[in-house]
Amino acid sequence: MKHPFWQAVGILALAFVVIEWGIPLLPGSALVPASVVLQYMVTVLAGVLIYVSDDEARWRRFREPIQAALVQPRLKPVRLGGLVVVPLVVGWIAYGQVRSAVQAPPNLRSIHPAPPAEITFRGKSMTLSGLDNPLRQHADSLPVYIAAGKRIYYQNCLPCHGDRLDGLGHFAPGFNPLPANFQDNGTIAQLTESFVFWRVAKGGPGLPREGTPWNSAMPKWEDFLTEREIWEVVLFLYDQTGWKPRTWERTAGGTR
Amino acid sequence: MRALGMMAVAVAGVVGLAAAGRSSQAGGTVAGKVRFTGAKPLMAKIDMSDESVCKAKYTAPPTEETVVVNANGTLANVFVYVKAGLPADYAAPAPAEDVVLDQNGCRYHPHVLGIRVGQKLAIKNSDGLLHNIKAMGKQNRPFNVSQPTSMTTERVFTAPEVMVPLECNVHGWMHAYLGVLPHSFFAVTGTDGSFSLKGLPPGTYTIEAWHEKYGTQVATVTVTAGGAKTQDFTFTAR
Amino acid sequence: MRAVGLSDSRTVGLLGAVVVALLSVSQTVRLSSQDTTRGKTVYVKWCAGCHGEDGKGDGPAAAYMLPRPRDFTGAVYQIRTTANGQLPTDADLMRSIDDGLFGTAMPGWKGRLSDAERRDVLAYLKTFSAFFADTTQRPVALAFGREPGSDARVGRQFYDSIGCRKCHGDQGRGDGPSAPTLKDDAGFPIFAADLAQSWRFNGGGDVAAIYRRLRTGLDGTPMPSFSDLIDQKFLTADELWHLAQYVRSLSPTRPPELRDVIHAPAARGALPAAPDDSAWNRVEPSWFPLVGQVIHKSRWFTPAIAGVWVQALHDGRALALRITWDDRSQSPDSAWRPFTQRVLASVAGDDSTPPAAALWPDQLIVQFPTKVPEGMERPYFLMGAATQPVYQWRWTSALRTSGRAVAGLARGIERFDSLPAGSAPAAQAVYDHGQWRLVLTRALATPDTADDLQFRTGRAIPVAFFGQDGSNGEFGTRMAVSTWYFLALDQPTPPRVFVTPVVAIAVTLGLGLVLVRRAQQRGTRA
Repeated sequence: MKHPFWQAVGILALAFVVIEWGIPLLPGSALVPASVVLQYMVTVLAGVLIYVSDDEARWRRFREPIQAALVQPRLKPVRLGGLVVVPLVVGWIAYGQVRSAVQAPPNLRSIHPAPPAEITFRGKSMTLSGLDNPLRQHADSLPVYIAAGKRIYYQNCLPCHGDRLDGLGHFAPGFNPLPANFQDNGTIAQLTESFVFWRVAKGGPGLPREGTPWNSAMPKWEDFLTEREIWEVVLFLYDQTGWKPRTWERTAGGTR
Repeated sequence: MRALGMMAVAVAGVVGLAAAGRSSQAGGTVAGKVRFTGAKPLMAKIDMSDESVCKAKYTAPPTEETVVVNANGTLANVFVYVKAGLPADYAAPAPAEDVVLDQNGCRYHPHVLGIRVGQKLAIKNSDGLLHNIKAMGKQNRPFNVSQPTSMTTERVFTAPEVMVPLECNVHGWMHAYLGVLPHSFFAVTGTDGSFSLKGLPPGTYTIEAWHEKYGTQVATVTVTAGGAKTQDFTFTAR
Repeated sequence: MRAVGLSDSRTVGLLGAVVVALLSVSQTVRLSSQDTTRGKTVYVKWCAGCHGEDGKGDGPAAAYMLPRPRDFTGAVYQIRTTANGQLPTDADLMRSIDDGLFGTAMPGWKGRLSDAERRDVLAYLKTFSAFFADTTQRPVALAFGREPGSDARVGRQFYDSIGCRKCHGDQGRGDGPSAPTLKDDAGFPIFAADLAQSWRFNGGGDVAAIYRRLRTGLDGTPMPSFSDLIDQKFLTADELWHLAQYVRSLSPTRPPELRDVIHAPAARGALPAAPDDSAWNRVEPSWFPLVGQVIHKSRWFTPAIAGVWVQALHDGRALALRITWDDRSQSPDSAWRPFTQRVLASVAGDDSTPPAAALWPDQLIVQFPTKVPEGMERPYFLMGAATQPVYQWRWTSALRTSGRAVAGLARGIERFDSLPAGSAPAAQAVYDHGQWRLVLTRALATPDTADDLQFRTGRAIPVAFFGQDGSNGEFGTRMAVSTWYFLALDQPTPPRVFVTPVVAIAVTLGLGLVLVRRAQQRGTRA
């Protein structure tokens, strides 16, 4: 393993293992797409080549096994094998490139589209900007509201958002996009309660175009729940996950 | 289950030895009839067309056995037993013989039965076709055993319980009810609607009559040594 | 390992056993002597919503699911390694908590709750039943032995002789004659498992798990234990293993993977219009899960159809779609009517009183947009909207003999306007032992270009599926739904697809030869 050629081979193999199987094991990571794997491998190869060619002696030693495979009569089978396998692999890759199967169109979805400044909830106009959860004004009653929110959650939200609030309820596999994961630091942790109220009240059909309303299975909860019930369930979401809602900046001139 | 059963038998044996010194030959008797008033409910016919073996055992289509009213206006399949009143240390060994529950013609025989804690229940399949026997006690551990052929399965109950429902899921109409008691003072009314509890030590007892549809009725009876008391019950249609 | 390297493997084994024994002793001590207040905190926060504050299986979510959450007070558990009727071991309970119960609303909690939290909650839920406090009831795992070599043929013999088909049906799809009468211990309706969907088996779908279920039974359900049959020499343990192997063989080797696009290859001959035409065996099926319609009033929380298998073929003029789905009943079927009533009475919903059961048919709906979209925008997946309708094919079991389905425009879930029969797709369906196989065929182009979708090759065409099992009480908005997927009618492969790789191979080979030759020339010169 001291030979620069085999070191290079080892590094490439290790890089492949890490990219292909190591990265997906990291929390929050997914499989690396084949094209990205290829990109990474080319980068690693370039790095390896720069390293071995940096030193004249090393570069010569590095080339020795390659040279041997090309020249030595004893290594004829390796040479022939290479001449067969390499063109076939290239041919296969070329085939994969030109055979264009129809693919699902990219779904460019804005996860947190800009909310409207104002909505109409069951015929009543509500200004969202600067709006806080009105139930928080009654601090001593919060446990009661949260308990009610919990009941509402379990009777309505559970099949999709799940009992761990992670968007993995028993109906979740049937929907795309997957139901929101409230445990994730990118959902309710980033939002004001009025935004969450809007998302709950208006559901998928209330999304602007960039939110791909045609795909969202989120019901329009104003058809099922009262204004107070929605505020209660919003309280429960924050209480159960431990996140704090984002708050409005209060300035002399108003709220932002 | 088998280990539990053995343990229960062992416990029953010890208890039995302890009680051997006590004699109850001078006990009293409580007897009576269970009457039925009101309109006799119509029992649905059971469709056994999927089970020709069972169907062939009947000349006329059998009916469900939820309410069986006898010709003399009494009610069959009522479980009458001493619910309370026995001395706290009362104990008597369970009979050595098994209680047999037979599955014949895709029905349970008997439909209502009693058994002692620790006594063996031998569940017999006389039909030779698939039954499963499922016990759904709350005080006793449940069981659910498959019997795809003519065979006998034995189980033991470890805790008093009135009643343990038994059922077959292959034949949704098959239900039986088993009363499990720590003593032998129980009876099931038959075709004449009568019952008799013999050999009771003198004392005051709570006697309960249980019916699967009409629920329970309770009576308090005082028994003297060698005396006989009559206690009738009446269930009303609803 | 270096330290024990000198001793023989037996010593290692012994040491291992001692360590394991010590660990398990400390574990048991910890579990039994544990303070349950921490377990209660975890339980109330994460479990009580379904299982109820008092462990009775009656939390606020309970009425919205079938099977219902476990009632801990009776200590009756389906998934155990102990004999029928016995308490589960702690390891059994921990496995169900860790992995969840597939095919139900119970998720796996491993990685979602810490090891300590899961242990605490296990200790706490045991306090709901007096049976666990009774030290004479010590649960002991059965010895299951080793799986013998596979013999599914023997397994099938016992499948028949011990009467599995009574509930699970001849092909194992849960459509046996006793299936409509089944109830669990609490009296709720329960389905006989569809043995062709092993990825949804509550306790796991591998052969060993199936064998354990056969030995222990699923307590609290109609599924009995078959251990007594081994004791009574009706069959041997190996024969019961073979039965488990047979049951496993009824399902695909791997759980179906969800893919976005259904590829419809160009058919070589005529399009197969019959559901059981052998041409379909050569087309790869795609699986699409269906879930309850819980979006629009009246919602439906307990759908019976778990998903559909879809295959497609086209010949440049017409498209044939074959949809296959497991359905335990050929609705309408009066034998299932009491079951229908029990389901409707058991499941909560938006109606103030449970709807009355009726003899509803089975239904399958295939949905497309009215036009192949240019961008990513599509109509609303749940049957479009008043302003943007969707194009649908609706087939019901009532239409079975007509040879047609109905084409029409849906404008929201409650409005469907059928189009003239002339543009309706041809439909052929068979119901075979708990499975519907339906082929829908329509010309790619139709005269009514305004309303009918005009299919085009080489494009991703949005498609969605909806299913109803009438005997499960599914009618109107009570249905199983999917979101948008895509159907692609493959174009004939252009010649360049084959030319390019050949050129690439030739060029690479040539370069390689040149390289070798030059290296060798240099070698001889040197």
